[in-house]
Amino acid sequence: MAVHLAPDKLTDLATAVAMVRPGSMVALGGGLSARLPMALVRGLIRAGTGDLHVVGSAHSIDVDLLAAAGAISVCEQSYVGYEQDHGLAPAFRRAAQEGLLEARESCCDTVLTQLRAAEMGLSFLPVHGVKGTDIEGLHPEYSRVTCPFTGHEYVAVPPLAPDAALVHAPIGDRQGNLHIEQPYVLDERFAMASAMTIATVDRIVSADEVSAAGIVVPYYRVAAVVEAPFGAHPSSCYPGYAYDRAHLASWVAAARTAEGAQDYLDRYVTGVDEDGYRRLVGSDRLEHLTGYRASDRAWMELFR
Amino acid sequence: MSSRFGLDELFVVELARTVRNAEVIFHGFGSPCATVAMHLAKRTHAPHALLIEGATYAVNPSPAFIPPSSNDHSLKRGSAYSMRFEEAFDMSIRGDVDLMFLSGIQIDPHGNTNVTAVGGMPQPKVKLGGGGGGCNMSATIGRLTLWTTNHRSGRCLVEECDFITDIGHRTPEGTRAELGYPGGGPEVLVTELGVFDYPEGRARLRKLFPDVTLANVTAATGFEFAVAPDLAPVETPSRDQIDLVRAIDPLNVRRREFRPAELERTFSL
Repeated sequence: MAVHLAPDKLTDLATAVAMVRPGSMVALGGGLSARLPMALVRGLIRAGTGDLHVVGSAHSIDVDLLAAAGAISVCEQSYVGYEQDHGLAPAFRRAAQEGLLEARESCCDTVLTQLRAAEMGLSFLPVHGVKGTDIEGLHPEYSRVTCPFTGHEYVAVPPLAPDAALVHAPIGDRQGNLHIEQPYVLDERFAMASAMTIATVDRIVSADEVSAAGIVVPYYRVAAVVEAPFGAHPSSCYPGYAYDRAHLASWVAAARTAEGAQDYLDRYVTGVDEDGYRRLVGSDRLEHLTGYRASDRAWMELFR
Repeated sequence: MSSRFGLDELFVVELARTVRNAEVIFHGFGSPCATVAMHLAKRTHAPHALLIEGATYAVNPSPAFIPPSSNDHSLKRGSAYSMRFEEAFDMSIRGDVDLMFLSGIQIDPHGNTNVTAVGGMPQPKVKLGGGGGGCNMSATIGRLTLWTTNHRSGRCLVEECDFITDIGHRTPEGTRAELGYPGGGPEVLVTELGVFDYPEGRARLRKLFPDVTLANVTAATGFEFAVAPDLAPVETPSRDQIDLVRAIDPLNVRRREFRPAELERTFSL
């Protein structure tokens, strides 16, 4: 776990994405409908970076898009889908069922424990559950360990030290200090356990502004920072913007077939850069998502 | 308001009845009925419950509406403090969370649940979303309220899960006691047909929804189950409870969990 001490890490998306080598273990920040590192995900797909071992907690369109692009060899999350709203993740599901990727399903708490082992420099930590479930059978790397004090047998899990953590934050400075709002999900742990953090931010601001807002990920864990406005879209990045429920619905509908998923990728990912992506989505639409602040009613209407 | 109410409203009230006052309660994500039920309980009989909100981990919020995604910031409204992810999980694993709501695409008679794969792994017929934090939390949280809105299909309550994601009272590896799990396991299972409990660690029918017969439940259930000697209908809710369900969930997110035919079931106050 190196530290990253350069005073200025501001770079462009393509350069940052190129730091992720094919075959890497990549941690995805955020979760479900919030703060997914979507600009970096789109960048990886544009770069054709494949054979990824993707780890995370509960995810949605980030993993689903990478699965559609054939970029994933191993998927190690606790969940991939769109909750009760849009249901199962079509591209992830198809790839798992066709054996195109290994769905090495994990548990939020196990991933957390493995990251902590990496942070502490330990060769394993025990988890209290998992034993007796079939999740254990998906993980030949787990073992069993007997407590020397009580004799209780735990499932032992190895450290998880990703090659890169991909994180999106509302604001950050050129050195890489990041402010995010709760829920932080596993972003802090990913930043601490990974060899490097690659960050996108909606806005690059001064060091004083990040400091005043509160630094959640410190600069020395961050190897590159890229300004990517609406870089979490179609997920949310509060206090900036709510998630785009209609866009998620249109992706899920398109991805019901492999052809539909490919059409989406051609149009929204490989056919454009991030400027082009924002133009396609439309400035009116993006502006609309910032309107949640006006009132509870305005916020609610975004989700009707 | 009209004196009629829907199955979705009664279902949420029945889930809320499993919450006790002054305890720590949690649900994961993708759980609109459980979310509404927790807020209903908090605003009625369990005002001192410590409510950990979905995947925001906000403490005791009072959201203006329930959004369709369980880590949207609108769920944090009115909350002065949000737990970190780590705090919520540590609290669950060391046994300081009293009640968690948990659902399953398949549920066996011991209360084991499958949310990983129909047809099992590694060659799933249907790869489901996955279990979130359940395979650890189900081992250690004080008790679990299970629910499903898909009992009638005949595919949910099955003799054996194709894959065990979350722990019930007994798995092929042993009982909870043999596995060394401190949590009490499933206490109640609420379905759109009735309510089960788990004396001796096996599902037993306790209540029926008012428009459901024992034969309906038997036809939809893939395992043999005992019937409580005092089998009773699910109690009628109060007008206040129904009003509160509608006020807590103006977007009717809870209704997305039900098949359209189930939503046509209505009852009178």
